[in-house]
Amino acid sequence: MKEIMIEATEIVKVLGDGAGRVEALKGVNLALAGGELTLLMGPSGSGKTTLLSVLGCMLTPTSGTVRIRGRSTSGLGPEELAELRRDNVGFVFQSYHLFPTLTAAENVRLALDVRGDRSPLAQIKAEKALATVGLYHKAKSFPRELSGGEQQRVAIARAIVGDASLILADEPTAALDSENGHAVMELLADIAKNPNRALFIVTHDPRIMPFANRILRIEDGRLVSDRRGERGGGVRTLKYAS
Amino acid sequence: MTLILTLASRNLFHDRVRLIATVVGIVFSIVLVSVQLGVFMSFERMVTLMIDHAQADLWIVPAEAKSFEDSSLLNGRERLQALSIEGVAEAVPVVVGFASWRKPHGGALTSILVVGAPATSVGLRPWNVVEGSADDLAQPDAVAVDRSYFAQLGIARIGAKAEINNQKARIAAVTAGIRSFTTTPHVFTSLGRARAYLGIAADKANYVLVRLAPNADAAAVRGRLAAALPDAEVLRPEEFRHRSRLFWLFDTGAGAALLGSAILAVIVGTIIVAQTLYSSTKDHLKEFATLRAIGSSRDYILKVILSQALISAVIGFSMAALIDGVLVKATADAALPIVMTPALTLGLFVLTVAMCAIAAVAAIRVVMRIDPVLVFAQ
Repeated sequence: MKEIMIEATEIVKVLGDGAGRVEALKGVNLALAGGELTLLMGPSGSGKTTLLSVLGCMLTPTSGTVRIRGRSTSGLGPEELAELRRDNVGFVFQSYHLFPTLTAAENVRLALDVRGDRSPLAQIKAEKALATVGLYHKAKSFPRELSGGEQQRVAIARAIVGDASLILADEPTAALDSENGHAVMELLADIAKNPNRALFIVTHDPRIMPFANRILRIEDGRLVSDRRGERGGGVRTLKYAS
Repeated sequence: MTLILTLASRNLFHDRVRLIATVVGIVFSIVLVSVQLGVFMSFERMVTLMIDHAQADLWIVPAEAKSFEDSSLLNGRERLQALSIEGVAEAVPVVVGFASWRKPHGGALTSILVVGAPATSVGLRPWNVVEGSADDLAQPDAVAVDRSYFAQLGIARIGAKAEINNQKARIAAVTAGIRSFTTTPHVFTSLGRARAYLGIAADKANYVLVRLAPNADAAAVRGRLAAALPDAEVLRPEEFRHRSRLFWLFDTGAGAALLGSAILAVIVGTIIVAQTLYSSTKDHLKEFATLRAIGSSRDYILKVILSQALISAVIGFSMAALIDGVLVKATADAALPIVMTPALTLGLFVLTVAMCAIAAVAAIRVVMRIDPVLVFAQ
């Protein structure tokens, strides 16, 4: 039985008010298990990023509950949510969000530093995470000296260095060419094999579907389909050009 | 170096133009503050120069005398009355007054402050005598001037002759470093010559310097003197110093102007640093949002901003201190040299750090409100 890393129940999120009021999520139920890579697909404005933000404890749901490894986020303040994020969640963003003035190793180490891990071991952990994404040799390079694919791999190293149980990725391949996108997805799929870690990827890109164990589709704030992907026993439909 | 300091310093040095603007703001502000405070301290010292060098345990001064340069006269009986008081060992009259100095080779008259005291007893004699001797003031027409005023007084050497209020004067002693905080040079002479130059009667004086007998109770003697001299005031040297400072620094407005300029400089510096820190923070907003997204506490981000402010402060202060050092040297012989003490230097550093920390408030307010969801905005 796979461990449930995060569970969202009846999530409703209302954004804005008055004439600008939008119900971005309308009762979403979702559980992500360790060792699985789950894709969330859907058209623009369907609520993908809002759901990602709620699962990542960056947005508080208007109603409903989120539990990360059994701990409810209800009633937590901004600092407690930040603590929950740094202990449990790793993020991978479309535009990497690396710190341009820090080296690759320092960018990775930052995820440990914000946790208060400033031991000499932190540097070793950062280098190990870079080695995992195949960039040990670029530890001292600054982001401007790295390709887009390499930058995204550094971001992945930053997400996994703290042994987060949940990795949330927002369009991780959108800014990459096919080759780099493929490499990044191979890497994320590999990371998702860890049974103590769940990967949740928001994407528009159908070419990454073959890497998924599970594919969710969201439309108008509701999950409208939930099926197994190719790696989860489903049907392979599209491929990255090779 | 911790990652917080690394991030803060690299963020600062990444945008060199903004860093230069920040540092220039701090340097201008701190140099201006240090010059104002340095001049203030110098002024504070110089207005009490004569009181500091007088050998007096108590001063008998005309009622409501504002400062040493106040030329009011005592009524003339004070010295003898003081000597009759138990515990008084000596009572030395001192005469002070403004006069005109006529240069040996003609030209415009120069205003001087004549300081007259008995030439051969303790009291108020010239110090730092580099040519001649203070005892030489006992000679006829003898005066002592500071060598820094030679050009202003139209003289070139000891022995030169001039006129004070149309009476003969001869340079018998030369001092070094006795400078007035005004443009009016001090000219020391004997009590008798001073009275003659200033047209003061032989029994009159501006002050009587009291020296106490050994083991005399200063407070008790002062009380007896005050009771015996109802038309005068009896002050301890520190009281007279305080009164002189109050008069010159605040009653004249000079000190208030210096302090006002210093405060203005701090405000301007704070605004410049605040503006650059704020705009730097706005430019790095997504990075701070990323920090927040990956779980950093607000305190962590606060430390990054404050570290940036502190680094700016250290760089700015170091450069300001170098400039201050040059200014202190350059003004060492000026009428009002800039004074820089270790305490003032330390105070300026604390002020710089405080200024930069206060300047960081606007930037801190921005990052404290930052929404980590910003990382998803394209």
